Parts: sequence; C-alpha cells; structure tokens
Amino acid sequence: MPLWQADTKLKAIPFDTGATMTANTAIPTSETIEHALRSVVDPEVGINIVDLGLVYAIEQEHRQITVTMTMTTPACPLGSMLQDEALAAVESVLPADWQAMVNLVFEPEWTPLRMSEAARTQLGW
Amino acid sequence: MSTDLPRPARLVLMMAAVATLLAGIVGGLLRLGWIIRAPADLAALHGPLMICGAFGTLIGLERAVAMRSRWVYAGPMLTLTGTAILFWLPQAGIGLMAGGAAVLLAACFILWQRHTHLFNLVLTIAAACWLTGLLVWCVGNEITPAVPWWLAFLTLTIAGERLELTRLLPPSAERLLYFRLIVLVLLGGLVFYGPTGWPQLFGMGLVLLAFWLMSEDVARRTLMLSGQSRYIAVCLLSGYVWLALGGAVMVFVDRNWLPGAPGYDASLHALMVGFVMSMVFGHAPIILPALTRLKLSYHDGFYLPLCLLHLSLVLRVAGDALADDLSRRLGGAGNALALLAFAATILHTLWRPHQQASLHTKGASNGA
Repeated sequence: MPLWQADTKLKAIPFDTGATMTANTAIPTSETIEHALRSVVDPEVGINIVDLGLVYAIEQEHRQITVTMTMTTPACPLGSMLQDEALAAVESVLPADWQAMVNLVFEPEWTPLRMSEAARTQLGW
Repeated sequence: MSTDLPRPARLVLMMAAVATLLAGIVGGLLRLGWIIRAPADLAALHGPLMICGAFGTLIGLERAVAMRSRWVYAGPMLTLTGTAILFWLPQAGIGLMAGGAAVLLAACFILWQRHTHLFNLVLTIAAACWLTGLLVWCVGNEITPAVPWWLAFLTLTIAGERLELTRLLPPSAERLLYFRLIVLVLLGGLVFYGPTGWPQLFGMGLVLLAFWLMSEDVARRTLMLSGQSRYIAVCLLSGYVWLALGGAVMVFVDRNWLPGAPGYDASLHALMVGFVMSMVFGHAPIILPALTRLKLSYHDGFYLPLCLLHLSLVLRVAGDALADDLSRRLGGAGNALALLAFAATILHTLWRPHQQASLHTKGASNGA
C-alpha cells in the first residue's frame, strides 16, 4: 500500500533515503512517519487514520515534515483533535531539530475508496 | 491563521451547557416531588432546559468546533443567553434561543452547500426543526406543541451523523432509500401532529428509524471490537432499543400525546433518556476532548452509569405502564443519579494526574 495516495492537487516530495533511524537522530523515512501516524486511531471505529484514507500527503522540505490530512466530513468536531494527535505522533519520531506541521483540508473530498484494503475488510466490504 | 475560539472560551461554553443540564435535572426532580425547595419555574422549564438549553448548546458547540469559524459560536452563545433570561424575560429568552437555532441552521446549510450529501441535508432539516419548535413555543406560549419538533431535532441530528458513518460500510442503495422514506414519515408525522395532536405517524417514523439504525449502523461491527469502540457501540445499540420503544408507545398507547396521558411520560423519557442520553454517554468521552482539548482516557468504569441509566429507565417506564407512581418517581430519581454518576466518572477521569496533559498545538495549522 503506498504511503500516500496519488492526487492531482497534492504531490509528495520524495524523501531522502538514508541511514536507519536510531533514537530520533537520523533522517526520518516515509515508513517511519506512516508508522507513527498509524498510532492515531478514530476512537469510534477503532481504525487508524492511514487505513481510513484520511492522510493525503506526507512531504519533506529541509528539516520539516508536512502532513496533509482530512476528515470524513467537515461537520465532525473531532478534526482538530485528530490533527493534534497526528502532530504529536509525527513529532515523536523526529530529530530534535526537525519540525512537523499537520494541515487539515477538506478538498479533495474524502471518499470511502480511499480506505485501505485492511480497513475495508474489517468493515465488511 | 486559526479563526477558532480560544480553548478557555470553549470551556466556559461547555461548563455553561453542563450547568443548564443540571438546572434541567433539578427541574425534573422538582416535578417528581424529590425536591421541594427550588424555583417553580425550573419544573415548568424542564423540557426547554434539557433539550434546547443543554443539548442545543452542545450540538451548536460541536458544529462550531468542526467549522472553526467564530461566527458559528454565536449559536451556542445565543442559546445559553436566551436560556439564562427565560426566567425573567421569557419572550426575549425564546427569541435569543431561536437566534441560536438560526445560527446552527445557517452553519448546517453551509456545510450542505459545500458537500451536498444526504446526511448534511438531514442535519440542516434537524436544525430547522429546532427553530420551528422554538417559534411554535413563542407564538403559542405553550411548550407541549413544540416538544415533537425538538424530538425531531435531536433524532434527526443523531440520525444524520449515523448516516454519515455508514459511508464506511459497503455502499447500499436500499440503505439510502429506506432512510429517505423514514425521514419523510417523521416529517409527515410532525406536520400531522400539529393540528390533530395524534402522534402515531411520528411514532411510526421513530420505530422505523430505530430498526434502520439497528440494522445499518456501523456499531453492529464495532460491537465486536474492544475497549472504547465496543462501549460506544453498546451505548448506541441500547439507545436504539429505547428509540423503538418510545416510538411504539406513541403509536399504540395514547390517541393524543399530551402531558398526563399514560404513555406521554414513558415515551418522552424513553426517547430523551434512553435514546438521546445513551448517545451522549457513548460519545462524551470523545466529544469532550474534541471540544475542550482536555485529555480523557476511556475505562470500563463508564459502563456503570450506563447500566444505572437503563435500569432506572426500565423502572420508570414500568411505573408509567402500571400506573405505579412510586416506581415512576424512583426511576426518575435513578435517571438523575445516572447522569450525575456519569458526570462524576468524567471528572474523575479528567483529574487523574497522568492524564492531565493538554495536547500540543505546535506547528498545527488549518488548511481548509
């Protein structure tokens, strides 16, 4: 499963490849960021935001990681809370001199097809 | 740059809504005869305090937090202000509450215009029902005719939110078709109730909605999970049983749905306490942190107030059915105790020291 879904409006900048991560000093890999984001779970359905297809893009520029995410609907009040949890999760795996940013967007609109195979299986697709 | 209301202000709004809920509970206990030394107006305004003052404020606050636009917070602010002045300037108070409902209606309409999904339309209709009920109260100077409109407000708000979550499930054209038909039955029942006082069509809509929720809600799947997800599912599914029972009492028990009629207290509280409060019990542990940024960890102790809620409601409804006043009063007292126990559980969870850290917002920004 790709780290992020290809999208006509958002494009991830390839990560630097490099050293294996040790003790938050090495350059974070895309897998590291994704793994961290999988710790952010929708409390009602018990599925993480990556598998729910809420993570649109993960970008790196210099020493900043920017995550672009959405919610299933703009009417849901949990957006800011999950945004904060995503930020904390990414920060937890970054070196001390790196920064994280999480943007919450609602365009393009989320659709159920963005969910991962694992999530859809769990939900009976 | 964020346009959201600062966290302390949101906390104040939340606490004011809780205070309104407490006032409503006191009014209920006054009606049941458990309290005698309290302003008599609290008893008369029990319904508006609970439905409009407390739940209307909380739903408005949820939508404001979701949209992160300061103007939407005018909704709960107007509602709370109107609720506060009801006791001294009733017409002005109703007017301000109607203003709060109008703000929620506008917010929901904007969301629907942005993403024209059925669930957003239903949320908009729900807000319109709330506003309509307030106008009915204002014009007629009686609360009873407004109550079905307020029930529709809460029911359709919950139904719309649950419909949205069914998008996580495999798509089904039948699911949406039946939902549309049920909403039409509910709205038709509202219109029919007005001039006739007959609740049967509205009650049938509630029963049908309950069966739809029991068969379609994602809670049927999350019941198989553990921890908080299962707890939420238990709250939802048990609430749907009360929704069905409340609707069924409306259909079969009383020809006219009026205070003093045998089924009125039973159906009203099956819906408000059994259905709506179950929803609140299930979602408060996730909505409260979302609204206030306070960290709150779920634990299985939350099942205790839920059990007390359901058991006391069984006693209350049995008392209504058997014309046993003592059982009805004990059940009502149990309902109040369940709400207080739930509040105590929330507070205890918040005050546990290792859970007190607020969430960081370093670097977080809005992209919407």
